[in-house]
Amino acid sequence: MVRQARSEATRRKIITSAVELFNEIGYPATGLGDIIERAQMTKGALYYHFDSKESLATAIIEEGTAHLVRAFRSITDSSAPALESIIHGVFVVTDLQSTDQIARSGTQLLRAFGEFNEAAARTYGGWLAEMTERTRQAIDEGDLRGELDPQAVGETILGSMLGAELLANATSAGADVLQRVTRMWKVLLPAIVSRESLAYFDEFLARESLRHSPASLAE
Amino acid sequence: MTEQLDKRADTTRLQILRAASRQFARKSYSLVSLDDILADAEVTKGAMYFHFRSKYALASAIIEYRAAVARASVDQLLARKLSGLETMIDISFFIALEDMGDETARAGLNLLASIGRTDGLQADILGQWVTAFAAIAGKAVKDGDIISDRDPEGIGSLLVSMYLGLRQTSNVAEPDRFLRDLEKMWALVLPGFVKHDRIDYLNQFIKRRTAVALKNAAPF
Repeated sequence: MVRQARSEATRRKIITSAVELFNEIGYPATGLGDIIERAQMTKGALYYHFDSKESLATAIIEEGTAHLVRAFRSITDSSAPALESIIHGVFVVTDLQSTDQIARSGTQLLRAFGEFNEAAARTYGGWLAEMTERTRQAIDEGDLRGELDPQAVGETILGSMLGAELLANATSAGADVLQRVTRMWKVLLPAIVSRESLAYFDEFLARESLRHSPASLAE
Repeated sequence: MTEQLDKRADTTRLQILRAASRQFARKSYSLVSLDDILADAEVTKGAMYFHFRSKYALASAIIEYRAAVARASVDQLLARKLSGLETMIDISFFIALEDMGDETARAGLNLLASIGRTDGLQADILGQWVTAFAAIAGKAVKDGDIISDRDPEGIGSLLVSMYLGLRQTSNVAEPDRFLRDLEKMWALVLPGFVKHDRIDYLNQFIKRRTAVALKNAAPF
């Protein structure tokens, strides 16, 4: 038991150090030697847990994604109407991407490995399934227009969310991501929300955006 | 070994609590006899007395058990990070749904009103509710929904009174009526402490929550 706990602590320390370095100097520039040095471990200890830099990246992608998906599900697993949960959930996930180091690093690695990493494919697939399911529910509830294809809407929301994060990182080191997410919803809502619900969701979005504004977060 | 024994004792205890809840949810405290509970729980008198010395001890345990469950649920609602006022509305509808559909919830609230006055249980638990609501109302002031000179403690106490009063004047066993009454009450109290330009949105929010609750109401 003690041994297991110690081994888990070592693994944790390696992941934390790798996340720090990936966030500071980027994945390509980080060598395994840097990670060993930062974690104050031996090479053997690192190789015991991870056989390559990529397997370390995969672990970070999986853990970071798990944080984000858990946060999103904790919002959507409620009796609240699905579209409210989707919008609120996207804001909460976006917030977490800037405050949770592992989630942040996981998202960036996910992007870098998107094409040829199995964990990445699984992650996007999971997100898409979740988003599509909630979209379907929102159509049933009458907040989204009846003729929409849930999969197409789910993909558009997910794509816009990931894209907003990418653009914010590329242009402002992530500083304006919440404004971007607000703008994305502003454009998207009139295209997908039913006529009866649109006024309500305009207000819902305005309130959400206000609560996540830098001024209100600073309090 | 002891762990297993503890577990079995816990199961028995829970079994008795559930059976007692079924009784207290349907009949007033004075009309429920220990024999009814024994028959329902299918445990021996000895097992019952091992866990609960009296009907009163059993009733207090239900109140406390229920209060703990409700606290955990409120924490979960808070973790959703909605605005303060939306959270308060969500909590009220959540409690209403539990009250309508869950025997322990109904029993706990019934008992709180009937036996809670003795030995300060009522004051203690309602005090916790008021404090919890006051804290959330404080957040709603920061969110800009509640007028800034309103007293969060007073709002907390108003909402708790409102719900407990509603249980007396409306009928919790009739979901349709109970939820409509809850909706009306919210609409009536909002202008007392909510900023004018937020009221339309919040009325919509309440209307939407009422619709969801009407759909999900599952009376026992």
